[in-house]
Amino acid sequence: MEGNIQNIHNDLVKKSKTGDRSSQYQLYELYVDAMYNISFRMVGIKEDAEDVVQDSFIEAFKKLDTFKYQSTFGSWLKRIVINKSINHLKVKRISLTPIENHEYHLQEEVIVPKEDIDLFKAKKGIETLPNGYKQIISLYLIEGYDHNEIGEILEISTSTSKSQYHRAKKKLIEIIKQL
Amino acid sequence: MMDNFEKKIRDNKEFFDDKKADRKKMWDAISMELETEPTKVIPFWKFPIFKVAASILLIVGLFTITGPLVLNNAGIETSYANKEILDIESHYEGLVAYQVKLVQNHPVLTKDDKVEFLSFMQELDDEYYLLKLEMRKNLDNELILEALIGNYKKRIELIENLLKQINSSKKINDDYGYTL
Repeated sequence: MEGNIQNIHNDLVKKSKTGDRSSQYQLYELYVDAMYNISFRMVGIKEDAEDVVQDSFIEAFKKLDTFKYQSTFGSWLKRIVINKSINHLKVKRISLTPIENHEYHLQEEVIVPKEDIDLFKAKKGIETLPNGYKQIISLYLIEGYDHNEIGEILEISTSTSKSQYHRAKKKLIEIIKQL
Repeated sequence: MMDNFEKKIRDNKEFFDDKKADRKKMWDAISMELETEPTKVIPFWKFPIFKVAASILLIVGLFTITGPLVLNNAGIETSYANKEILDIESHYEGLVAYQVKLVQNHPVLTKDDKVEFLSFMQELDDEYYLLKLEMRKNLDNELILEALIGNYKKRIELIENLLKQINSSKKINDDYGYTL
């Protein structure tokens, strides 16, 4: 089933490469909501997320000939959206690593609540997180990247990504407890 | 190792995708940008006709550079062959012409004998001319060169034989004179 969906998507990608607008629109319809949510979590503002997603689709369609099916179209597009979101934050001079000397920070034990986590509170807590924390939590917990990949995306070391995530998670749990 | 907190969020990723994009507005902007995308300019060197033209130009260019060298080499070969023929001609032509003159001026031979002999010499001359034409087509053909030399030798041999016969008959007549 998943293979069939993948084949259909690849067929749409193949046609989109030739400039077929209908196929491009079908790909857009398939992915626009997911990409919009990714960007919104990163940049936090509706209009900014819309701009980022628009630019991402335009770039993806223009550079579709560089897509060599080494990953799914979705993950390829997602990486474009995330990179553009990060660049957008950089242009707005929003720091993605708010804590100084984080690499030398001694990790404190994060006490994870034993009771089942409320997803609504978790969602609200992530939205409330300060910049830097919010992005790394989103990249690790929701987008599913590992610390090596996050290091590449944010142009930081793997250890920085780990320590940054550790602190962001601690902060998130504190916020959730207060909700 | 993920704890329950992390696992719960990762397992429920879809729950966090609660925003809906303004699809129409965004697509309008995307399609407008794609429409206004500048026409892809295909570099002229990617046209097949250019590739053909470039190949011809390359061949002409290479020939322009190497052609004179090749032609010069051919010219050298030609000049060698021509020089060889010229040497043969200068050597034998004078010899034959001298002997032909001897035949023409010979007091013993009748006019008819002289015409017959000289017509035979003309046949050999024609053959020599044809061999020379063939030699121009095959400058390195040693067989033709040998045939050219053979042609001249034949002519000389014939003249020598003729003159020998005349002289020997004259000698016999002279001897008869003495005998008588």
